Amino acid sequence: MPISRRALAAAVAALLLPLSACGSGDDGGAGSTDASGKVEGDITFQTWNLRANFKSYFEGLIADFEHKYPGAHVKWVDQPAEGYPDKLSADAGGGTLPDVVNVSPDLVAPLAKAGLAMDLDKAAAKYKSEYLDGAWAGHQVPGLSGTYAFPWYLNTGPLFYNKSLFEKAGLDADRPPKTYDDLFADALQLAKKSGGKVATLANVPTIEDFGRYGVPLMNKQGTAFAFNNTKGIELLTKYKELYDAKALDPQALTATPESSGKKFLTGAVAMNPGSALDLGNFKKNAPGLYKNIGITDQITSTGHVNMYVMGLMVNSRTKHTPAAVAFAHFVTDAQNQMSFAKKVAIFPSTAGSLDDPYFTKQDGTDETRVRVAAAKSLKTAVNYTPVLFSDQMKTALRNEVAKALQGKQSPKAALDNAVKAADRLLQQG
Amino acid sequence: MATPTAATRIRRQLRTSPWLFAAPGLLVTGAFVLYPFVSTLVNSFTDRRTLLPGHFVGLANFRELLHDDMFWTGLRNSTLYVLCVVPALVVLPLLLALLVQKNIPGITFFRSAFYTPVVASIVVVGLIWVWLLDERGLVNALLETVGIGRVGFLSDQWLLLLSAMAVTVWKGLGYYMIIYLAALANVPRELHEAAAVDGAGAVRRFFSVTLPAVRSTMVLVAALSSVAAFKVFSEVYLMAGPSGGPAGEDTTLVMLVQRTGTGLTGRVGYASALSVVVFVVTVALMLLVLRADRKEEA
Amino acid sequence: MSVLEKVRTEPADPADRARERRLTDQHGRRVHVGELLWRYVLLLAVLALTVGPFLWQLSTSLKGPTEDIYSSPPSFLPGHPTLHNYTRVADTIPVWDYALNSLKVAAANVVTNCVGSALAGYALARLRYRGRGATTLVFVLAMLVPVEGIVIAQFTTMRELGLNNTLIGVVLPGAIGAMNVLLMRNAFRNLPYEIEEAAYVDGANVWQRFRRIALPSVKGTLAVVAIFAFMGAWDDFLWPLIVLSDPSKFTLTIGLNYLHGTFANDERLVAAGTVIAVAPLIALFACLQRYFFRGVGEGAVKG
Repeated sequence: MPISRRALAAAVAALLLPLSACGSGDDGGAGSTDASGKVEGDITFQTWNLRANFKSYFEGLIADFEHKYPGAHVKWVDQPAEGYPDKLSADAGGGTLPDVVNVSPDLVAPLAKAGLAMDLDKAAAKYKSEYLDGAWAGHQVPGLSGTYAFPWYLNTGPLFYNKSLFEKAGLDADRPPKTYDDLFADALQLAKKSGGKVATLANVPTIEDFGRYGVPLMNKQGTAFAFNNTKGIELLTKYKELYDAKALDPQALTATPESSGKKFLTGAVAMNPGSALDLGNFKKNAPGLYKNIGITDQITSTGHVNMYVMGLMVNSRTKHTPAAVAFAHFVTDAQNQMSFAKKVAIFPSTAGSLDDPYFTKQDGTDETRVRVAAAKSLKTAVNYTPVLFSDQMKTALRNEVAKALQGKQSPKAALDNAVKAADRLLQQG
Repeated sequence: MATPTAATRIRRQLRTSPWLFAAPGLLVTGAFVLYPFVSTLVNSFTDRRTLLPGHFVGLANFRELLHDDMFWTGLRNSTLYVLCVVPALVVLPLLLALLVQKNIPGITFFRSAFYTPVVASIVVVGLIWVWLLDERGLVNALLETVGIGRVGFLSDQWLLLLSAMAVTVWKGLGYYMIIYLAALANVPRELHEAAAVDGAGAVRRFFSVTLPAVRSTMVLVAALSSVAAFKVFSEVYLMAGPSGGPAGEDTTLVMLVQRTGTGLTGRVGYASALSVVVFVVTVALMLLVLRADRKEEA
Repeated sequence: MSVLEKVRTEPADPADRARERRLTDQHGRRVHVGELLWRYVLLLAVLALTVGPFLWQLSTSLKGPTEDIYSSPPSFLPGHPTLHNYTRVADTIPVWDYALNSLKVAAANVVTNCVGSALAGYALARLRYRGRGATTLVFVLAMLVPVEGIVIAQFTTMRELGLNNTLIGVVLPGAIGAMNVLLMRNAFRNLPYEIEEAAYVDGANVWQRFRRIALPSVKGTLAVVAIFAFMGAWDDFLWPLIVLSDPSKFTLTIGLNYLHGTFANDERLVAAGTVIAVAPLIALFACLQRYFFRGVGEGAVKG
């Protein structure tokens, strides 16, 4: 296929021509932060992988809202778990972000920086007192003033362990590890007694593990990462020891939350973090395991367990600020969070809700025991993952940690590299 | 062959219709492939992030590439992929084509069946093989039954890459088999008969008759499969996971593009520079095709 | 020339044909029984490799909740086959609605690709005009662009056209694939000029020659394009996910992703989902395979 120079020039011209139409996106007219007007208009509400299990709950919720505010109409869309950040970034870049969006703190940070999330300290300050202080602060972004999402549901859970595996290794199945030292000692014994067949941990340490171990993750100003200190190195060195003894699953380097859950189900791993929701799963898919299930508290060095926080962000460019703010508040108010919590093993972020008898009174079942313990621990729980810790940073940390476990570099070098990479990404962001 | 005048007359007719014919294709390709790619090209010289506009940074992204370990890992894996997958896809489908060429009963069924992996979606193929190669999956169950014991196909860096390559070859076998079948059908049978009369055995005939006849097809298959192999994404992504296997050691270049450039904190500028590198290498590989094409026409 | 036709029509000696009609090779020579035997052994071995994984998936999807799917040695056949897993898939996601959307998208993609790439391919192969080299170059370059890098830019374009969140928006970027245009170009180029010459003498214009003479001669390649277009549209995940917001418009791959996200631990359910996704493709291919193999024989896939 001979290509003449003129043809080439024509091709280049054809390529460049559309560039003139290259606009850098839109503004679409920023919505106001004044939420005091009449609640009316059509708004869109986007959730994250909740349709498959909770369709009727959300349909009922929306019907209630529309009944309360006849001028408002809510359209509900749900997105699958995978690709959610890509979906959000396409919508954010294209100016098609829904009015009310289900986010987590690490998702809200870049949106807030781009000016797409409404500052609720301005638009909805009057609702602040309805929520737990820690939960409200969960969607604040270092470097910006303001709060960028209503707190929605919280989650935390105990550590499940396989009693029969503990007994086989000569451990007291009724005395699960309570401290990191216990955990590491038990793990080594389990691996030794089973000839390397039974691991205790299935995942490499993530940023929240460092947090829970008591490693300061960032400097005081929140401008740089600091988890490469002696405490961090100590934890990683310990994990390396476990990995070498096969007490940390040899496949941990490629594990996903699903694969490690599966390993716990099949008895290849002795402990697994989870939530009350998992109990039903054990009962159904691994009845043998369910009979031997042990439940214990998350292990921390700080006394504060880790929690996950979900929020509802209001699009700062919404055309119907009063309706969007009112709806986001409606979904996250004490009553609706409570009824959602009763449908699924999550916890409300509204003040006082955790004192409800549902979260305080035992009724003898394991589910309730797990729920009550989790609710109690939530009062002091911390979301260890820094809001600014992006996906790219998580990958960098994961890869450096893996290299340390494989012995390709020292734990110190690994954490130094991870901090360096994360800091660079932080400055660019 | 037609007389030159006939050809020329047909070609000369009408000035506008060629553009009318090509217009839909050009419009779609221009608007949804080339225009986005040109903006990628422009972005590769900026520090643009997903939600933040970029500034012109010159060649900074390309300079950063040179010091990025992950880039070199990606380049290594993509190159390894070409080196391992391409020979397999040049040779095995040819042997397969020879196997299904003979018109024996039921052969049409076999030909179609061998093509099934090509038809299936890569996501489905990924799910199927992850399940097959799982620690407790079929392959390991079989290996254990015959006494070899379980193998961690999906946890070791090199086994993972090898498994992904095997899946690529598995999915490509039928596709290239068909190309070879077409080429084999064009080998004049007199050549085979003459060789047989000369007393050449099957192996000798393969090397002296078949191989020379399909050589240009082999070049074509090599070029096509190397372009595809260098851009490999799905197989490795599905089997090794988004972070690319243990310590990210199985990351390929296109996976790196996807990982750095997407999401809310994506570094669009840097990922664009990576895309440009991938593009340049594939263009180089494609030049092989054009050369082969020209040779064929001559 | 079709591979299969060539192979089929070739047993040369009519006298031989009746006696051992099919036990001959493509050169009409008799195949020895021993050779026949090892050929079948090899064929069956390759069959196990290529189709086996699909059957294993089918078998897994038919196994009930009480059956151990991890057993060693493995049990290839479900002890008590059940369609329960398929019902559960349908209970979890509106799988038939999603399948219908996928079907719409795939069908539209087949039509636009067949029409668009036949037109463009004809222009590239048969019409002489200034800029033909450049046009060809545009399609070649387009084939080399790594798609993963340009999705967001594609979405921005789509939004500017106001076509985001529509099935049209899902179809458009792949509506006329560059690869398909080049396939059609090669098919048209392989047609002898004489065919059109006669029509030209009769006064047929470009459109008539294209429609009545050139197009019918490349049916096989069109079938290849149709299959590629259908597969491509049926398979795509990332693009529909990004361009669609409204769940009522989701396609099947997005639906399957829900399944995987919600029931990752349940191999049986995921297996049922994959079977639902792959079965229509295999059925389509089985119907079109005759044309398909012929299209390949036309030289469609020669660079």
